[in-house]
Amino acid sequence: MSELLGRLLRSPQGAIGCAIVALAGLTVAFGPLLAPYSPEGLYPLARYQAPSAEHWLGTDQYGRDILSRLMVGARATIAMAFTATAIGTLAGAVIGTTSAYLGGRADEAIMRTVDALLSVPSLLFALLIVNLLGKSAFNALIAVGIAFTPGMARITRSVALAVRKQDYVNAAIARGESSLYIVLREMMPNVIAPIVVEMTIRVSFAVMLFATLSFLGLGAQPPAPEWGLMVAEGRKFMHLSAGMIVWPSLAIAAVAIGFNLLGDGLRDALNPRT
Amino acid sequence: MTPVLEIRGYTLDYALPKGAFRALDDVSLAIARGEVLGLVGESGSGKTSLAWAVMRHLPMNAREAGGAIRLAGDDLRGRSEAEMESIRGRRVGMVFQDPSTSLNPTLTLGEQLAEVLVRHRGLTRRQAWEEGTSMLGHVGLKLPAEMMRRYPHEASGGEKQRVVIATAFACQPELILFDEPTTALDVITARQILDLFARLQQETAVASLYISHDLAVVGGVACRVAVIHRGRIVEEGEVRRVFAAPRDDYTRRLIAAVPRPDRRLASPAPADEAAPPVVEAQAITVEYGRPSLLADLLGRRRRFVAARDLDLAVRPGEILGVVGESGSGKSTLAKALTGLNRFAGEIRFAGRRLTGARDMDRLYRRDVQIVFQHPDSSLNPRQRVAEILSRPLKLYGAAAAREIPGRVAELLEQVRLPADFARRYPHQLSGGEKQRVAIARAFASHPKLVICDEVTSSLDVSVQAAVIELLLDLQRRYGTAYLFITHDLNLIRQIAHRIAVMHRGELVELSTVDEIAHGPKHAYTRALIDAVPAPVG
Repeated sequence: MSELLGRLLRSPQGAIGCAIVALAGLTVAFGPLLAPYSPEGLYPLARYQAPSAEHWLGTDQYGRDILSRLMVGARATIAMAFTATAIGTLAGAVIGTTSAYLGGRADEAIMRTVDALLSVPSLLFALLIVNLLGKSAFNALIAVGIAFTPGMARITRSVALAVRKQDYVNAAIARGESSLYIVLREMMPNVIAPIVVEMTIRVSFAVMLFATLSFLGLGAQPPAPEWGLMVAEGRKFMHLSAGMIVWPSLAIAAVAIGFNLLGDGLRDALNPRT
Repeated sequence: MTPVLEIRGYTLDYALPKGAFRALDDVSLAIARGEVLGLVGESGSGKTSLAWAVMRHLPMNAREAGGAIRLAGDDLRGRSEAEMESIRGRRVGMVFQDPSTSLNPTLTLGEQLAEVLVRHRGLTRRQAWEEGTSMLGHVGLKLPAEMMRRYPHEASGGEKQRVVIATAFACQPELILFDEPTTALDVITARQILDLFARLQQETAVASLYISHDLAVVGGVACRVAVIHRGRIVEEGEVRRVFAAPRDDYTRRLIAAVPRPDRRLASPAPADEAAPPVVEAQAITVEYGRPSLLADLLGRRRRFVAARDLDLAVRPGEILGVVGESGSGKSTLAKALTGLNRFAGEIRFAGRRLTGARDMDRLYRRDVQIVFQHPDSSLNPRQRVAEILSRPLKLYGAAAAREIPGRVAELLEQVRLPADFARRYPHQLSGGEKQRVAIARAFASHPKLVICDEVTSSLDVSVQAAVIELLLDLQRRYGTAYLFITHDLNLIRQIAHRIAVMHRGELVELSTVDEIAHGPKHAYTRALIDAVPAPVG
């Protein structure tokens, strides 16, 4: 494990990705404690302020401190994105590995269904689900999780197909092992590495997807300090204070890039031959 | 006269994360015009690195630490990449191990051959095409004009290797490097390629460096031989002298490890011929290709019969060899017997008839075990050796939970591995050690029959000898029967009691070893035996 971390930190993208994700993680954990102001505290006298010593990133249309809102909102944005991706990945991994193991007609049926779902863009798919379930942060999480499942199932299956052909799986079948044992103990541990890589990259998509949903008013609801929502609200006051859009957008971009770089770094670190 | 290729004190390191690895150490060689120098070594000995060093095409992390490589007097190390491009192909040719990966699958064979002629001999495309056609005829291809228009996947392995050889000889180079040119081919095809090589070699008087791990092949083609071990040339000399009276200790061990059919290793066959067979295959037929609903509706059925009506009985304590070329159905048989393939026909075991994988219960699974060809893929890379070995013990209830660590240690000791290997992962073991673990796993349940599917073909010859010795030792100790599948006739004649010869999915001959030695019945068996290079020494 420590060897993996060492290899990860040696590559530039891995090191930068790790740094950004670690910073994001700290913000998720301690953001609300460290935030200088309350994210919902209104200060009508200090509206649309430019960055200053008091308000590092300025204030918004109600005089709320943007830095504090970003720090508190990290939980809603990043933790949600991570959870949604984890749900999608887990469901996709189980579907993909099982499909690859079963093979034949069952594989055909599962994969054609997945293909059909894949043809719907994930944003549209998420929008559809949120509209069906009603708009709330939790439903957005489920929607993003479900929207990610088909893609993850496809990726897992392609990895699992290669694992399925390995002789240790044949050996397990020849030994008379149960299907459950083979899928969980023989195949799963060997498909997990590429899936983890894919998952970190997808977290960045999820961050943007959540931001988009909130921007469209289908995710978190005001006055929550969710980053996408902050951008959506700030749009109306763009001509009064550009910072209201710039800072949350930068935060979204930074986290997305951070997870992307981490994923790239992990891909190289987990596969020393490339 | 200056030799065509002269290598003086050449040393090559690879920069690895853990430090420099010396791939070649003070290598000195010389090849004269018309001479074939065989370079023999096991995997990782640096023989292929040497070929690439001569070609001046080394990986990024290669560091040359000194020495000279001279082609007819000029030092290649001083040449720029652009100069090398005009030397490669024109003055130095190369033939690779696997013709299916050394040819570009998207170009026709003719285009690839003509390209060399256009580039290095300045012919027009039309001239090059004509010249290429006549060359393909010269390397023994029956329909050269048609072969020129074919793509690599439309030609067989032997035909492709002939095209590669024609390309290498195309510009009458001074030197040709052969890197295991017959290793990926079947015995009979390999024999034909070797004959072609000998003929071309004599006609063109090119200097050849023939790299191989197979001492018998090198003994047949080379004038002189150099033995390389861990990057050092340990011995060099006339082929006959080196093989008959090796001076170096390593050469001696290498030669001793080569299988020789006249030196029997196995104990005599079990006397009781009337004993009921352990497992009996009756009319086993295996078809590949999934039945598709759509294809059935359209009346189109594309099935490939991999094994047809195989009848085979393995007697207790016997070693039954199965030989044949790739695609002859040997492995298909092994997979059918272990329920990895659907099959028609039946298997008789302990008075029962099994007609499919569903009938194979725990008892059958326990008594019939399989060891696969590639130990890298037959051991789960995410499990420690202890977990791999304890699994069959748990599955067949052979040991109580608290006895398992002790039993794992016993199993390791049985295959002559230290007990602390239990904590290791497969990637921390060498190829031979991994195969020992796979053998230990097969023997964990004290099976009556172990199917060995090419268990030694991915191992070096000295490792192979040790694994064979281990298998024979286990067989003597437990009276286990083996179904030993291999393409190596010399090896199987050393150890088997009976030999089954397979050809295109059918069993063409089933005879005792003595019968095979005194004259095989089937013409195909005879062709197979004639094609095997005579063992050295």
